[in-house]
Amino acid sequence: MRNEKENRQDPLPLDQVERVVGLLRESGVGEIRVRRGEMEISVKAMPEALPAAPQVPVGSGTVQESAEVDPETNGLHAVRSPLVGTFYRAPAPGEGSYVEVGGTVEAGQVLCIVEAMKMMNEIVADVSGEVVEVLAENSGGVEYDQPLFRLRTDAS
Amino acid sequence: MISKVLVANRGEIALRIIRACRELGIRSVAVYSTADRDSLHHELADESVCIGPPPAAQSYLNVPAIISAAELTGAEAVHPGYGFLAENARFAEILERVGLKLVGPSSRVIAMMGDKAAAREAARKAGVPITPGSDGVCGSVSEVKRVGAEVGYPLVIKASAGGGGKGMRVVESEAGVENAFLSASREAGASFGDGAVYVERFLERLRHVEVQVLSDSTGTTVVFPERDCSVQRRYQKLIEESPAPDLPEGIRNGLLDAASDLVGSIGYEGAGTVEFVVHEGEFFFIEMNTRLQVEHPVTEMVSGVDLVGEQLKVASGESLDIPASSLVADGHAMEFRINAEDPRRNFLPQAGPIEFYNPPGGPGVRVDSHLYAGYRVPPNYDSLLAKLIVHARSRDAAVRRGLRALDEFAVSGPETTIPLHLAILEDEEFRRGGVTTRFLQDRELENEEGLLRLVRKEA
Repeated sequence: MRNEKENRQDPLPLDQVERVVGLLRESGVGEIRVRRGEMEISVKAMPEALPAAPQVPVGSGTVQESAEVDPETNGLHAVRSPLVGTFYRAPAPGEGSYVEVGGTVEAGQVLCIVEAMKMMNEIVADVSGEVVEVLAENSGGVEYDQPLFRLRTDAS
Repeated sequence: MISKVLVANRGEIALRIIRACRELGIRSVAVYSTADRDSLHHELADESVCIGPPPAAQSYLNVPAIISAAELTGAEAVHPGYGFLAENARFAEILERVGLKLVGPSSRVIAMMGDKAAAREAARKAGVPITPGSDGVCGSVSEVKRVGAEVGYPLVIKASAGGGGKGMRVVESEAGVENAFLSASREAGASFGDGAVYVERFLERLRHVEVQVLSDSTGTTVVFPERDCSVQRRYQKLIEESPAPDLPEGIRNGLLDAASDLVGSIGYEGAGTVEFVVHEGEFFFIEMNTRLQVEHPVTEMVSGVDLVGEQLKVASGESLDIPASSLVADGHAMEFRINAEDPRRNFLPQAGPIEFYNPPGGPGVRVDSHLYAGYRVPPNYDSLLAKLIVHARSRDAAVRRGLRALDEFAVSGPETTIPLHLAILEDEEFRRGGVTTRFLQDRELENEEGLLRLVRKEA
């Protein structure tokens, strides 16, 4: 929780802050600001203070659902797509792939391209490690946050 | 007919559009943010694409992501719903350039109607009455004072790029002009990136009455029976009904003709709404919304026309074929917006899990909602949870049906505006019909053993 107070003359109205914190918890909203005269109380929830998502069985195993199976099992690291677009493993048609399964990559090394709006966006590894699996299909569409590669890092 | 439509929205309106697509045999593509992974629009569409993280600016307002999703899935058209990109002329222009059809009017028309001063001018040219005020934008304090001397005080200064009460100031007399002008321009600049303002006579006791229109690409336009949306809280509509109760026949006909004249003069295509204020036996144009509106089901109930289906047909290049009998209201319909806000605690927004959900049913009841038990209302988007629409032979019967249905409506988890709607339906003045937009402002909510009641404030 972060409490801010602009007026430094008065003592901190802790009871009021407490009430705002209570309201925030009950309502499940992310932030509440209360202003009275010169004083403003702003309370922000930490992500874990928000009510947890209930575990609900929804959907009937669509393509997206199966793609979202947690790829971080076995301690492997997933590199996810930062945008919607078309996935290319090679810099240009006919050229070799940036990386192959079994190869090692350094953090910052280009893994693939995701093309969106005719722009070629190079996707780089955020960690160093060994490429264990390529999860997306070459020249297929990928969604935001879709896992593209699984890497075995030194820690895993 | 278009074969695949991308629905660039979420919540109940995304479901509404997906349903219309399905009935017409059009494939639908949902887009969703990571906050909406468990949402029904993502589940019910034929295909879906995750376009970004929870903040709307990076997902539902993310134009490159939405266009990429359309290209990846081979969608031919984009339905923007309401809110988000629905009245964004720039988005419409980009769609035109990349060869995607917007389900709606051209970017030129969206831009013209989005500029409130230009819209006023278009209305004036079409012979539609506008509130007395400035000709276009007012650039200085002295210009505002000149308009004030001409049309009289109080005046209201409004943001030309605006809406929803932002960049708006009421001025009681000439002495207040300077402060109000400066703060309205500043707020307009901060909210809309455009500080331009215009000035109108401020009308205090007024009703908000609007006309649903539908035009096809050949220029054929139909106008539907009017809707009254006067029950508002802080410029947000809460209850809408059709037809407007107790509206003089001359005004009703005047409104419908004016809407038709305006729409006919600007080369409109698709569904739209022309908004008016009705004040002491006169009516004036306020603005035009170039999109589908939240309250469109009210019109669907009294006309029997599927407005979203018609939008999709018009976007496919088909000509309108609406029977004249649909343009006369059959009975009376009312819509109640069920928002995730707590009326007992100053409408504090609510989020979190829906523990139990059982919407009302029975004759004359329609619920448009994306809720289900176990759904978690994300804190990132607007608070509309459900729209309850009732339809009956008369207004009295619609009020009784509304009370019955609201009473049946069971949602647990977040607090909602259901108790407020029940209180409004019990109010004598509302029951008589024809309340002004000050209706809620003039009343206080009292908590009586858990039930809410509206009590008129002492004058």
